Amino acid sequence: MSSLVIEMPAEGIAPTYAERLAALRGEKMAQTQEKWAVIGAMDYDDWALILPPPDAREVIQTISASGVPIVDVKMKGFAAESNHPNGDFFGPVAFGRNFRRLLEMHPVYIDPNSSLAGGYMVNFGSYRKSGWNPDFDYSHLHAAQRLYKLHTGIGGAQHFCHDLQIGLDLGWRGLLDKIAYYRTVNTDAKAQEFYDGLTDVVLGMQSWIGRTADAAAARAETEADPFQAANLREIAAINRRLVTEPPQTFREACQWMLWYQSAARMYNGSGALGRLDVLLQPYYERETAAGTLTDEEAIFHIACLLVRATDYIQLGGPDETGRDVTTPLSYLILEAGHRLKIPANIGVCVGETTDEGLLRRGLEVMFEDKTGIPKFLGVDNTVEGFARNGYPLELSRQRAYAGCHWLALPGREYTFNDMVKINFAVVFDVALRDMLADSSVQPSVAELWRRFEFHLRRAIDTLAQGFDFHIRHMHDVAPELVLDLLCYGPIERARDASSGGVDYYNCCVDGAALANAADSFAACEQRIEREGRLTWAELLAHLDADWAGPEGERVRLMMRSVPRFGSGGSLSDDHAQRLADLFTRLVKERRTPDGHQMVPGLFSWAMTIMMGKDAGATPDGRHAGAPIAQGANPMPGFRKDGAPTALAAAVAAVQPGYGNTAPMQLDLDPGLTRDEGGLEKVAGLIRGHFALGGTQINLNVMDKEKVLEANRDPSKYPDLVVRVTGFSAYFASLSPEFRQMVVDRLIAEG
Amino acid sequence: MDTNSSVSGVIFDIQRFSIHDGPGIRTTVFLKGCSLHCFWCHNPEGIRVKPEIRYDPARCINCGACVAVCTNGAHAIDAQGRHTYDRTKCLSCGLCVEECFTEALVLTGKTQTAEQVVAEVLRDRAFYETSGGGMTLSGGDPALQPAFSAEILARCKAEGLHTAIETAGNYPWANLAGLLPHIDLVMMDIKQMDAQRHRAATGVSNVRVLATAERLAVETDKPLLFRVPVVPGVNDADADIAAIAAHVRRLSQARRTAGRRAPITLELLAFHRLASQKYQSLGLDYRAANLEPPTEQRMRELRAIVADYLATD
Ligand code: SF4
Ligand code: SF4
Repeated sequence: MSSLVIEMPAEGIAPTYAERLAALRGEKMAQTQEKWAVIGAMDYDDWALILPPPDAREVIQTISASGVPIVDVKMKGFAAESNHPNGDFFGPVAFGRNFRRLLEMHPVYIDPNSSLAGGYMVNFGSYRKSGWNPDFDYSHLHAAQRLYKLHTGIGGAQHFCHDLQIGLDLGWRGLLDKIAYYRTVNTDAKAQEFYDGLTDVVLGMQSWIGRTADAAAARAETEADPFQAANLREIAAINRRLVTEPPQTFREACQWMLWYQSAARMYNGSGALGRLDVLLQPYYERETAAGTLTDEEAIFHIACLLVRATDYIQLGGPDETGRDVTTPLSYLILEAGHRLKIPANIGVCVGETTDEGLLRRGLEVMFEDKTGIPKFLGVDNTVEGFARNGYPLELSRQRAYAGCHWLALPGREYTFNDMVKINFAVVFDVALRDMLADSSVQPSVAELWRRFEFHLRRAIDTLAQGFDFHIRHMHDVAPELVLDLLCYGPIERARDASSGGVDYYNCCVDGAALANAADSFAACEQRIEREGRLTWAELLAHLDADWAGPEGERVRLMMRSVPRFGSGGSLSDDHAQRLADLFTRLVKERRTPDGHQMVPGLFSWAMTIMMGKDAGATPDGRHAGAPIAQGANPMPGFRKDGAPTALAAAVAAVQPGYGNTAPMQLDLDPGLTRDEGGLEKVAGLIRGHFALGGTQINLNVMDKEKVLEANRDPSKYPDLVVRVTGFSAYFASLSPEFRQMVVDRLIAEG
Repeated sequence: MDTNSSVSGVIFDIQRFSIHDGPGIRTTVFLKGCSLHCFWCHNPEGIRVKPEIRYDPARCINCGACVAVCTNGAHAIDAQGRHTYDRTKCLSCGLCVEECFTEALVLTGKTQTAEQVVAEVLRDRAFYETSGGGMTLSGGDPALQPAFSAEILARCKAEGLHTAIETAGNYPWANLAGLLPHIDLVMMDIKQMDAQRHRAATGVSNVRVLATAERLAVETDKPLLFRVPVVPGVNDADADIAAIAAHVRRLSQARRTAGRRAPITLELLAFHRLASQKYQSLGLDYRAANLEPPTEQRMRELRAIVADYLATD
């Protein structure tokens, strides 16, 4: 047990947890508004980053890794040391050293209302100049990567899940000891460099935590409010211990996780948390049994963690034996998210054996808060699907929800999740032009399918080679030093997780624009082949002209009016099914040249806009550059009634089925639950989707009027939270284009 | 069971994820044709049996494609290049609709076999199972296409689905009697207890409606849900609703006297004006255009009256 003595304030009335939570929310809102003012639009999940104080920050214009101009914030007075002629830094020694230097000068952040200290202020990646070390050349892949406009994942960081249990067991000193021990086992120079890097990360963390403890103690001395002074003294004592020791109490465990998650986020953007209810359960059990922790206090500590770490969490779901792990603590975590009403990323497992009450409570929260939280995880299908890759069910059940649409085995699996995308609309376009340029064949839908298959296979082969290339070199480019600490193998083998350090390599390959390609196939079949209303050459001319002119518009409407994927039993539904089957078969038909598995999924993340810009006009009547369909979803407006069951059946029908997801993006009217039994109907919808094979549901219950109003004037509802896709975010944080995407969905679904 | 794949009828919509027409998640099949002509009808496209063209000029791009195919000259492009549609010349053949890609022209009502309808209904079977839902026949009045309705219902029952029907009750008992063996829940409208006022509002007297209600209550043991569309001037006075509630209570008592148990309930639904666009596109006069929908407060008051009657039941 903790050696802490809880001090009772001498006089006055202690603030309630609710009051402290309100203050935390207010603080977060102020910080977010400051970020809007300084950084502008943020089209990603709400990172808990706090801006450095004005005198300690530099604001710079730069180009993001994906080529978009962005505003970035750096710490004044910190420059990374380069170890490469191009001025950048690469490899474990330089990464470890620079990260440690950054941590050692990182300002301390303490909110006296919180039970936990710490907050990060910059992204380490801002100090990198290039995504990849030019010494490792992959120009032989460029032609195909560009032709298909692939998102290759080469140089992409994190997007797999560590196991916090390792850290909770060892603490920072334990991690140092472990590194020191394996230094004596793996003695080659490369191993020593890797250990240097890891050691620097831990030393940097110890500095940051230790300075925070000192600062809390100092602030306690001058704090006039006796409650805050007592809280600051506790924070000081807890963090003093955590510099070296593993956490002993529930609160300490939350604090330890907050430090680690902050470091992981700062280092390279990792936002994976995994099974928080399982991780915290032993502390919760012990302390509630001893009467030293109330549920209200537990909720408060969790909320203090979530407000500063908006990371991805799984609640419930099977243990290795298949037994559901839902506990009262799972409900408390959900409750913490409910009380905060900030963008949080909590997923609730729904399956044959999961807790019905948790689903129900999740839906209540969903309809009450309208923040798109929680999301729902079709755990039976992802478990069975993952096993199909040749893994035992016991292993498969350990895979945890840890990112936008993805799962990973905590500490054991490297995945490239959500970084690798094939845009089917682009592949379709390449195939169509290829066919029409070949005067030796009679164009037909059958021929188009043959060409599509050829190009899709080539695109996947290109990705496969890219995976191998990345896995061979990432260690020497941008190693995963923070996540390595909490994985099984990297320290033991002296290998970075990206490059052989862990046991399992399952390279995620996501398809996108399934609906656009399927609808395009169907439109060609219906209007060109069956009805002869149009020739292939005319189609091509209209595509090249982006449907210009009155005749172009008429033809566009004609192509668009062919029943869409999702309408049910249509040609487009058949083509969608065929496309999903083909994609799955091609991804699974072989491994990468180096022997790594690939796993198919369907998800475009928030890139429906960006990937749409990559694609010219498509025969489904889509204009050049317009957004593609979201993930596995049909195009908005796919049916006049927008029936959620039609959507759910369509998305369930195109699941690749190997454990990676093809989420359904579903927007429901808040009025649905006004009638008696409304919530049960939504539960039925969710269960029905999973019964048909669905893997994940991003549910959004949006107040249409409010969202439309907020779109006109975002400042009107600064705290409006919406689910964008796999993540939720402040509506006002999004760029106008992203806000429009959310609004379009609402309008299309009437 | 006996099924006849050639039985067909006219429907105007199949709505999936229907959640206000019975328990659970349902698919509602709307049959065309009704014997009442309620002036406020929320589904005016359901009144006439034969298919109709809905025309929305706002969507028209004056492309002229419809003109070329109509052999009856219902479409024309005028001197200014604007499209015009003369409904009186239209025979509802649907040819022009096939050419109109803007959906300015839409065919409301199509003939389908029971088999086709049920195939569509079965698409959502998984959701009926997870929510306790099923299929609802609505309209129009499905009892006016009895053979078609019986076939759809029988096929759904054979598939193990929960079935419900929404009906206005204005027909000979035989129309409904043939359907009952395949129905789990009957939802029936009662609009007004006074025969004269009923006729004024709906074009027909309520005698047969009430007879159907009576026989449903006494001769069957199907769960019965009576529904009242609360329409200003038609039935929104306290006394109107009280009279209906009292009648439903009598029916409920009569059912019990007859030794039957299945519940009889009464539900009030507020009139709304969402159908106004439909009237326009069908070329119909919308006589409820100036009616104010009852307020939430008024609905609460009326529901309290219902609760009073049924509580003392
Ligand atoms: S086909 Fe449709 S859009 Fe074209 S003129 Fe006729 S009604 Fe208008
Ligand atoms: S439905 Fe037939 S008759 Fe009526 S306007 Fe169209 S083409 Fe002419």
